[in-house]
Amino acid sequence: MNRKTKDMILDGLTYISSGISVFVLIAIVLYLIIQGASSINWHLLSSNYNVTAYNAAVVETNPGNYAPYNGEGVYSEQYGVAFKDITTAHNDDEIQVVYIDSSSPLANMESLIAGEEGKMVGLNEDSVVQSLYYFDQSGERVFLSRTQMSDAATLVDILDNQSSGVYSINYQTLGGGIRGSIIVTLYLIVISLLISLPIGIASAIYLHEYATKSKINSLIRSGIDTLTGVPSIVYGLMGVTVLFPVTQLMGATSTSILLGGLTLAIILLPTIIRSTEEALMVVPQSLRDGSLSLGATKSQTIFKVVLPCAVNGILTGILLGIGRVIGESAALVYTTSTVINDYPTLLGQGTSLSLMIWSIMSGEQPNYELASAISLIILILVFIINILVKVVAKRFSRRLV
Amino acid sequence: MQIDNRCVKRNKLLDRIFSWLFLAMAVLSASFIVVIILFVFIKGISPFLPGYEYGQVDLLAFLTGTVYRQDQGVYGVGFIVINTLIASFLALLLSFPISVLTALFIAKIAPKHLATGMQSVVELLASVPSVVYGVFAAGVITKIVDALATSFGYVTYGGSSLLAVILLLAIMIFPTLTSMSITAIRAVSPDIEQASLALGATKTQTNFKVVLTAAKSGIFAGAILGLGRAYGEATAVAMVAGNKLFGPTFNPFDITRTLTSTMLVGLKETTGLDYDIRFSVGLVLIVVIFVSNAILNAVKKRIGNQV
Amino acid sequence: MELCFDVKNLNLWYGEKQALTNINMAIESNAVTAFIGPSGCGKSTFLRCLDRMNDLIEGCRISGAIIHQGIDIFSKAQDIVDLRTKVGMVFQKPNPFPMSVYDNIAYGPRCQGLKDRKKLDEIVINSLKGVALYDEVKDRLHDSALGLSGGQQQRLCIARAIAMSPEVILMDEPTSALDPISTNKIEDLILELKKDYTIVIVTHNMQQAARISDYTAFFLLGEVVEMDKTDVIFNTPHDKRTENYITGRFG
Repeated sequence: MNRKTKDMILDGLTYISSGISVFVLIAIVLYLIIQGASSINWHLLSSNYNVTAYNAAVVETNPGNYAPYNGEGVYSEQYGVAFKDITTAHNDDEIQVVYIDSSSPLANMESLIAGEEGKMVGLNEDSVVQSLYYFDQSGERVFLSRTQMSDAATLVDILDNQSSGVYSINYQTLGGGIRGSIIVTLYLIVISLLISLPIGIASAIYLHEYATKSKINSLIRSGIDTLTGVPSIVYGLMGVTVLFPVTQLMGATSTSILLGGLTLAIILLPTIIRSTEEALMVVPQSLRDGSLSLGATKSQTIFKVVLPCAVNGILTGILLGIGRVIGESAALVYTTSTVINDYPTLLGQGTSLSLMIWSIMSGEQPNYELASAISLIILILVFIINILVKVVAKRFSRRLV
Repeated sequence: MQIDNRCVKRNKLLDRIFSWLFLAMAVLSASFIVVIILFVFIKGISPFLPGYEYGQVDLLAFLTGTVYRQDQGVYGVGFIVINTLIASFLALLLSFPISVLTALFIAKIAPKHLATGMQSVVELLASVPSVVYGVFAAGVITKIVDALATSFGYVTYGGSSLLAVILLLAIMIFPTLTSMSITAIRAVSPDIEQASLALGATKTQTNFKVVLTAAKSGIFAGAILGLGRAYGEATAVAMVAGNKLFGPTFNPFDITRTLTSTMLVGLKETTGLDYDIRFSVGLVLIVVIFVSNAILNAVKKRIGNQV
Repeated sequence: MELCFDVKNLNLWYGEKQALTNINMAIESNAVTAFIGPSGCGKSTFLRCLDRMNDLIEGCRISGAIIHQGIDIFSKAQDIVDLRTKVGMVFQKPNPFPMSVYDNIAYGPRCQGLKDRKKLDEIVINSLKGVALYDEVKDRLHDSALGLSGGQQQRLCIARAIAMSPEVILMDEPTSALDPISTNKIEDLILELKKDYTIVIVTHNMQQAARISDYTAFFLLGEVVEMDKTDVIFNTPHDKRTENYITGRFG
């Protein structure tokens, strides 16, 4: 074999290797899009994961005059409501309301749930029907269970052709939304950055502006460097043992979002320290000299001249930190619990977006659609952050020179 | 200029306070590693000490055990350590050549625009969170493994298997290996390259023979780092490992159990010994990473010396 | 004649390497003293000693004394920040802070706690007028100082030093990064400033030293070979080495 062919084969190998990584990236993105993109809608982002049940009685029994409906689902002309068969995020087959006329008797009912009797409620596009009582042609009250109504078409057939009116309906919300997890993620971002930014920036300042070459300082540095190599699950273990008592002082009784935030703060430290330090390195020594020669103290020089010049590094640190918080799961399994909470509080449990994925994937019946939808959202966020980091780096490198 | 003496005094005091504050924060940051190791150690060692509230566990049996059954209260991590090592090393073996070749492509061979594009691909892969890889692995890799197993006449547990873990880890450590290799290759002095070219070697020969050899120390450092990642990778691995109760697992189509998956699985509804023993597993994980790093760094030193 | 700095037996080491050896020198007030010598001879290092800027460099060791206003500036009694408010410094390359022209000049006074807007305005305008920069920048006082030309930036840096009303201004090759026209302006400025300030200038340019200084010290390999009135150094040097350098035999 001559040299040229040999070279071509070797070069070709590098092309193939690169091709494999491109292929993997595309495969991941494609899979998530195929599985999850159709689930991403406003409902997913804005509604609760857990379902709320309703039981309500019909007040107005006379059928109204409904606007004609030609949309999807099976339409009940007598009640002005359309139903559709769906599988929910909780993996249940349900009959969902896809359209309801505002004058439908089912849209204006009185709650029968103890404690809120008489409250006006009604079916809407977020409802799935569980069971109902209807009056048959002879005026007899008949119970129709979820299994008896079997699917949307059967339900509509019974409503339109066998009933003379509906007495009451048991229904619940669709659920499967990620609103709570979005809030938890925001909580975690704020808590962790609030704590790790000052500590991280101060540490970076010490390491770069103050530390002389000594044993103790190299010990400090290697301590911080070692943090980078600690697996995040170990941070989780540390969180429940070391930081849990701290949150207890603030009133926590179980693992909590606060605890997760504190744990993440420590995870972020090496990132923040490194990006701040890298930015400090770029600040010209002549600016420090200039400031000191004017009689400014060292700390004045740092706060007034050096840090403003290093703002890009801090910004990069913040962005990378946000990315890390959004993606972190293992450390949070131990510290915030895997209970999906729709109404998270600082001292309560909850899941971030990533943790929610773990929670629904590690259950008995993994829900690939929902997991992929959330993954896709996370991926988009992380990619945006990636781009922002580059933009920050470019803009500031131009400014300083 | 008139100098406000009170203010100057205050500034000097502030200056001293700040310098102490900065030092304190740096010490705090550095002390976390000590805190982590210390507390995981204390908590992890507790089940083996006499007087442990849920009944003392035999340390030797724990370390050498080949069965891990929380329902029976039998905890042995010996086989889990072996499983973790097997999965991580094979993942490294798979990922290493691809990473190095990709790094060489980006740093030396690719035309400029292609190199920037590939660099972005590596960066994007690096920024994909662990759980997202997990979803991909559970949805795609397991299917591939399952199909592969069927063609070999094996039946898998829905594709969850040692092979799935290896493939997943190989993908996950790829960005680390590649970016470290790129740094190492870029750091090779152009003088050496020019010397090789001047001797009549082709560009490709130079890249493969001279550049890679000169960069091997940095590439090896990347491999050590990647291996550390592989040991500690938790949620994604737990999604496809299955949870074998005994082992070690050598059949790639059989389910397995790694240290991290052991720590995660069934955490939701557990208390007592089964909860505490996870800290012991965590401690074993720390020791595995530490020992592996120490050995490999020693190897790296020897390789680095013999040019 | 009044002494500004009295340097006694000053030695300076960077790690193991001795950079300054046995410097003895008297620097007079309200005069321009120039340090000349080949690069690496220690003249900049010595200049930085007068402002204690070498304290920033790791591994730097100093013995001997520099007496300023009756106090050794290396002694504990001398506060480093106080010293630097009294001794201003202008660097080789213009180093304006990435802030507005106004904020650059107000920086020093503000660090001393001056907040009164009117007084700051006065200081800024007077300092800018003092370096003949006011007319050029009066319309863009609040624009970034980085937008000025190199010569303007260096004059801004001098103005920044003047704003502190120092007793001494140290200049470390202030014109080495500038074009000839800007250099001329700075030289004129130095002659102007001499009335109010003691000026010590390091220069790599012998003609410059001859043009603007009253006294000249010739440095070689970390030692002061000769120091005298400028016309003596340039016309009738006592040391052979000085003569060789002045006449361009080496450098």
